[in-house]
Amino acid sequence: MSRSGSGRLVTAFEMGLREYARTPVLLALLFFLPAYFVGVFVYVLPASEVPVTVPGTGRTLVATIEVYGVLLVPMMGALIGGLAGLFVMLTAQEADGRLVVAGYRPVQLVLARYALIAIAGLVAIGVSLAVLAIEFVPERIGWIVAASLLVGLIYGMLGTLSGLVLSRLAGVYTMLMLPMIDVFFFQNPMVEEVHWIAPYLPAHGVVEVATDAGFTATVTVDPLLGSLGYFALVALLATAAFYRSLRT
Amino acid sequence: MADAREARAGPGTAADRGRRLRAGVSSHVRAFVRTPINVVLLVALPVVMVEGYGMAMEAFPSLPFLDAGRMVEMGRVNGAVYTVAFFAGVLGLFQVISALQADERLRICGYSRAELFASRLVTVVLGTLVITLVSLAVLGWSTPVEAPVAAFGGLALAGLIYGLIGMLVGAVLPRALEGSLVIVFVVDADDFLSSGMLDLDAAILNAFPLHFPHQLFRDAVFDGTVAAGDAFGGLAYLLIVLVVVSVLYIRLTGDGGVAA
Repeated sequence: MSRSGSGRLVTAFEMGLREYARTPVLLALLFFLPAYFVGVFVYVLPASEVPVTVPGTGRTLVATIEVYGVLLVPMMGALIGGLAGLFVMLTAQEADGRLVVAGYRPVQLVLARYALIAIAGLVAIGVSLAVLAIEFVPERIGWIVAASLLVGLIYGMLGTLSGLVLSRLAGVYTMLMLPMIDVFFFQNPMVEEVHWIAPYLPAHGVVEVATDAGFTATVTVDPLLGSLGYFALVALLATAAFYRSLRT
Repeated sequence: MADAREARAGPGTAADRGRRLRAGVSSHVRAFVRTPINVVLLVALPVVMVEGYGMAMEAFPSLPFLDAGRMVEMGRVNGAVYTVAFFAGVLGLFQVISALQADERLRICGYSRAELFASRLVTVVLGTLVITLVSLAVLGWSTPVEAPVAAFGGLALAGLIYGLIGMLVGAVLPRALEGSLVIVFVVDADDFLSSGMLDLDAAILNAFPLHFPHQLFRDAVFDGTVAAGDAFGGLAYLLIVLVVVSVLYIRLTGDGGVAA
């Protein structure tokens, strides 16, 4: 990308950040809601132990809060990323159409919007880890952050796609239900035998790495490759839908 | 200004009010079904969620506090409650968000604040009852329901409470992203923690909106019983939410709502 091209990208990104800053309620929710969600779990979960499958280690007993701790962080990334993807793209659609007429290339706008989704996801992940630290600090925080950000981006693309292809209401339904059932149920490490559908769901590799990073010092990152491929595929589809929406 | 408008339009007779309410409800319902994807969701969501939860629970290990023979059924039951609560919550939210400007025009045409609230509320109640019926039918197709009427009541209670909460969130936070975020986080945390799939005894859980409906629905589906305490608690919860939402909604949407 040329110097002026990257300048436009940065400008579009800055404008998006300013829009976040201009809506303090949204900013407050980005901090408060993950804190509330993780905080409630930290407060009410029992001190019991449950069996989980840790990649490379096998079945082992860990505290209930620790299991849900490693699930909650990617879950927050997925929920915030999904909704941000849905609404950032939908609300910016009209303005972006004008920016394209004014000389912006669609790819610059797409990258700027995706960067905004990543920022929203990072805020949610950071807050979740901070609240979780009251009870549990994962072994390898860096990998948890990377895995959670990746699932946030995957769901961000899915949110964009569902908003553009279906409707806003359908997008909200999809973005509420899918992360919950994917992360908390199908990818739950308490499961003894993975369901046949689980590997096809967006959070599969990510939760595997998050579980590994939560309980072991050496993390096998191979499952992230599959997740990166998943991300590339949904990003491609979301970008194509975005391009199409600019033309119509 | 608002009083002057009301005085000009006049409160009308009971028949006028009834006609205005019917007109309001039918226009909201038409607005909803005009988008085909909404109608598809009414049927598709219960199927996907009820069966999806059941499939997800299939592989769970036997836990000391859960009946191992009922894991799949337990998943389906939770899927049904989740679907109804979430559908109603989002419906309530978007009913209010989409209503604020239109309602202000309707006020000029003679609708009172109470009538506007009632027309939105009736629409949410109708939507809730439809999704409850569909969800119960999907559940009943694969899982025997011991007391269908009581199960319908418990499930509808979950939807009605969240429909009202959705309206409340819409009145206080009348923006799609912010409102959706609140509904998403509240429903997800509430449903999971009230589901009976975790061995929890924190007293705070009794204050969660789905605590009583979940309990009532599980009892009705699995045992065919209705605990009077849970029924009373759930109805009291609904009544309190209804009063709070009515007062706040009518106050906040009086002169164009908080978004104006």
